[in-house]
Amino acid sequence: MKPAAFEYAAPSSLQEATKILADYNGEAKILAGGQSLVPMLNFRLLKPQILVDINRIPNLDYIAEHNGGVRIGALTRHYALETSPVIAARFPVISEAMRHVAHLAIRNRGTLGGSLSHADPAAELALMAILLDARLTAASASGTRIIEAKDFFVGALSNALEESEILREVEFPGFPLFTGWGFEEFAQRLGDFAVAAAAATLTMSGARCTQCRIAVIGGETVVRAVNAEALLTSSSLDDKTITAAAKAAAQATPMNSDLRASSDLRAHLVEALTRRALEAAKHRALEKQQ
Amino acid sequence: MSVEVRPKLIGARIKRVEDPRLLTGQGSFVDDRQPARMLHVAFRRSDHSHARITNIEPSAAAKMPGVFGVFTAADMNLMAKPVRATSRSKDYHATEMHALAKDKVRYVGEPVVAVLAESRYLAEDALEAIDIEFDSLPTVIDPEEAMKSGAPLLHEEAGSNVLLTRQFARGDADGELLTAPVRVKGRFRFGRKTPLAIENRTYLAEYDAGRQALTLYSSTQVPGILRDALVDILDISSHQLRVVAPDVGGGFGGKSSLYPEEIVVCALAKRFGRPVKFVSDRLEDLATTSQGFDEILDAEMGFDKDGNILAYRAEVIGDVGAYSIYPWTAALEPVQVISFLPGPYKIPNYRGRVRAVATSKSPTGPYRGVGRPISTFVTERLIDMGARRLNMDPAELRLRNFVGPKEFPYKTCSGIVWDQSSFTECLERACKEIGYDAFLKEQAGARASGRWLGVGFASYAELTGIGSRISAAPGMPINTGTELSTVKIDSTGSVTAIFGIASHGQGLETTLAQVVADELGARMEDVRVIQGDSAAVAHSTGTYASRSAVLAGGAATLAAKAVREKIIRVSSHLLEAAPADIRVEHGTVFVTGTDRKMTFKELARAVYSEMGRVPLDIREDLEATKQYDPVFGTTTSATHVAIVEIDAKTFRVKVLRYQVVEDCGKMINPLIVDGQVHGGVAQGIGAALLEKIIYDDKGQLLTASLVDYLVPSAAEIPPMKVSHIETRSPSTVGGFRGMGEGGTIGAPGAIANAVSNALSHLGIEITELPITPEQLFRAVRQSTK
Ligand SMILES: Cc1cc2nc3c(=O)[nH]c(=O)nc-3n(C[C@H](O)[C@H](O)[C@H](O)COP(=O)(O)OP(=O)(O)OC[C@H]3O[C@@H](n4cnc5c(N)ncnc54)[C@H](O)[C@@H]3O)c2cc1C
Repeated sequence: MKPAAFEYAAPSSLQEATKILADYNGEAKILAGGQSLVPMLNFRLLKPQILVDINRIPNLDYIAEHNGGVRIGALTRHYALETSPVIAARFPVISEAMRHVAHLAIRNRGTLGGSLSHADPAAELALMAILLDARLTAASASGTRIIEAKDFFVGALSNALEESEILREVEFPGFPLFTGWGFEEFAQRLGDFAVAAAAATLTMSGARCTQCRIAVIGGETVVRAVNAEALLTSSSLDDKTITAAAKAAAQATPMNSDLRASSDLRAHLVEALTRRALEAAKHRALEKQQ
Repeated sequence: MSVEVRPKLIGARIKRVEDPRLLTGQGSFVDDRQPARMLHVAFRRSDHSHARITNIEPSAAAKMPGVFGVFTAADMNLMAKPVRATSRSKDYHATEMHALAKDKVRYVGEPVVAVLAESRYLAEDALEAIDIEFDSLPTVIDPEEAMKSGAPLLHEEAGSNVLLTRQFARGDADGELLTAPVRVKGRFRFGRKTPLAIENRTYLAEYDAGRQALTLYSSTQVPGILRDALVDILDISSHQLRVVAPDVGGGFGGKSSLYPEEIVVCALAKRFGRPVKFVSDRLEDLATTSQGFDEILDAEMGFDKDGNILAYRAEVIGDVGAYSIYPWTAALEPVQVISFLPGPYKIPNYRGRVRAVATSKSPTGPYRGVGRPISTFVTERLIDMGARRLNMDPAELRLRNFVGPKEFPYKTCSGIVWDQSSFTECLERACKEIGYDAFLKEQAGARASGRWLGVGFASYAELTGIGSRISAAPGMPINTGTELSTVKIDSTGSVTAIFGIASHGQGLETTLAQVVADELGARMEDVRVIQGDSAAVAHSTGTYASRSAVLAGGAATLAAKAVREKIIRVSSHLLEAAPADIRVEHGTVFVTGTDRKMTFKELARAVYSEMGRVPLDIREDLEATKQYDPVFGTTTSATHVAIVEIDAKTFRVKVLRYQVVEDCGKMINPLIVDGQVHGGVAQGIGAALLEKIIYDDKGQLLTASLVDYLVPSAAEIPPMKVSHIETRSPSTVGGFRGMGEGGTIGAPGAIANAVSNALSHLGIEITELPITPEQLFRAVRQSTK
């Protein structure tokens, strides 16, 4: 478990970094927190020619309020997100989700950009990005572009970035008023990647649900449970509809089968967790109206 | 006049003297040694489960930068003999193991080629350049298939994959089971587990060419066993080999066997005269450190209608993996399962038969608890299943069938003798401590509101501190029944106590110092414990099988007492007092009723340095070496109680409360006893709920990293309460009983019973460990169909 030889660069600007990426033409790997990349190097699953360490690039580590939402720099550590008062106030669902990401030592190193780029189908931050319609800014030598979260995760461990692009910033657009949220995860141990998870936001106007977002972990990528969302939108969030929506969420994507759980169990878990997340979201939304 | 007023060290909650060193990074582990000119060895391992090696092409690797040499079986066999774990047991077949696989590989991870290089990085680069051609042979994965005649053979010369068959019987279990009014049975499976010490296996061999002497620094539990085996394998004499176990970061049995890598580092260091180090990485640890617990049991128990056990029968299949491990043999765990199935119960009719079956998986060996986590799981499950059928309280059913307080010593139907033990007392106290009656009410209320709570007991007895009349594994050609201790006061008055055991986390430097200080009359801080060094004593095996406190503690007691007698004799002369008036305390000799006294320092100077002060005819060295042999060993018993909650929707099992009541006899240090129980229970919880080594049908290891092999972390371990009953062992010096393994023995059964109890409204009985969410999901779905 020792990596193959590689070169190492620690550029001090984004321009410099993107230039190295372009120069090495697919043979470079970005090093952020290293919590996912380094194990893969040690197993020799990856043998990049060069590591581009982006930790010395200034101004990539920030949480800034913007238009009722937040913009977060790609190098922001998990621990910073977990403990940020801005996030707690604006996106309490993210604060809650972060507590389920790995262990403290890993959260001290792991970064938002690293987690999203790594695109693990069971990552809580991918779930948040999909749930909250995040907008991702990618930078390359030729400029920047915005990628919607729904277009970013193209498969397990695979994202929509070009090899010469760096994920620079993630924007979470503002939460509508009177929105409640719920987050539920099942993992056998605290800090493990989710076997299954569900997160939801429900926006209420009086007794009606005006907007519903549900995202689930269990399949090849995180997905939105659009059929479930449709059932709930405009409903009064009665028990029957929530039950039906939870069932629909379990069918939002074909579920994975692996050592941890069969696809049957994952579907069962997604249904149960979605139900709990919806109930929590409804409860919080109603509370806010009072 | 000689009233003892001084508080004894034995029995005191003294903080571990090794901890400041270990916790501040000042320990000295094998990998901390960095001798000059050291080379690293890395292994190209088999990626086949069972295959013939048709060609190895090492030349490209040999030319890589920093590579010193590339070695195969052909090279190694010139330097080291193959290993065979022999046994006098009948119906046993030893297997031949070469340090580097010869002709055939038999499990994924088996070392095939060794690369010696300037660094581990360069060695691993070279591994990738080695080309090995394999000719696949049929895998031998399912032990039941492997037992069938005509199954592909792993060791052709054994003629069968069944390496051992053994049976214990008393009375007519088969006949009684035909007519017993109440019978319960099941097919039970205990998943394969790996010890997972925090320090991976690490070896460093240094060769002193001038003296032709080899020193092996090994993260081992058994330096003495290694020394004795390696001198034969390397064909050197034993003064040419010293095996040192420095600080060792846990073992749990996984470091108590001889490993191929140990042979390779010794052979290469000797051959090239340079230090050679091997540091196993976690992948290698998961794939190649001896595994355990892989057993299938078809077991049945019969009761009369009052709940008295009439008969017990079990057919056991032990999946022992690719080799019969040295020195324990493939008999170790399988035979312990059938030896200990009767547990603390009176069972008039018993038949337990086991077959140990070789499969193309990593070899198994000792793992904390050996056999008894399995026997306890199965017996305790059957007791609970019986209680349910009899409509009796499970605690009551146990009490009815225990060997009672007045029935000791008691010979079980497998031939083990329980000395005076606390089966009944442990269970009664456990019910009280956990608040059993109150919990039953809480449970009923919870169930009405859809919450699944359950309580489970596991009561067990284990034989610990075994002596020379009982082998740790039947028929083994080594003596595991004795230990030596030398206690000496040097010319400065310091006390050194020397042992062959090898503490690797148990705190033996503390507990043995407590024993020596008390028995000698020294101060704790004056006693230095030396252990883990094969050169320190004439014979020793090491630390395993809950033996060190009993055997080394016993030897220390005898040696310290002998030195104390010498102190009394010489100070009677020096202080001009009758021996009966001499008191030795706190490192000082007092004459009772006077102010005359001498410190150990003064005494030692008088004995060793002040020429002529002690006349020749009464002069004695202040030193003694004693051997201790507990002959049969002694019994340790306990009851564990777990209270669990199962999430009815996600099937998450949460252990809410955990109580242990145990009797390990006279406790040397209750703080350390508690710590050992806590750690053991944590590992038992791992076995019950999380940990399983999984091979697919191609023999590939699927749990090859800690992402897939789940060990409990602090968050999964509940608060635990440990209570003690201290019945001095009638069989051992000091009254100590061994207690290093008990936590792991009780926990799997207690949790399996608690989970079954929580699911009793669905009629679900747990028969397989670990209890995964998948297993519960399927069982619940099945039962509610
Ligand atoms: C024991 C353990 C448990 C874990 N548990 C969880 C868990 O429960 N949930 C969870 O979500 N995660 C978990 N993780 C993963 C952890 O969150 C990682 O930190 C994260 O996935 C990757 O972040 P990083 O900054 O360490 O990225 P790195 O490891 O540095 O990089 C990961 C990948 O992303 C690329 N990359 C990094 N930054 C950028 C960027 N700005 N632009 C483009 N590409 C980039 C890298 O080239 C690499 O391919 C766990 C990790 C460990 C070791």
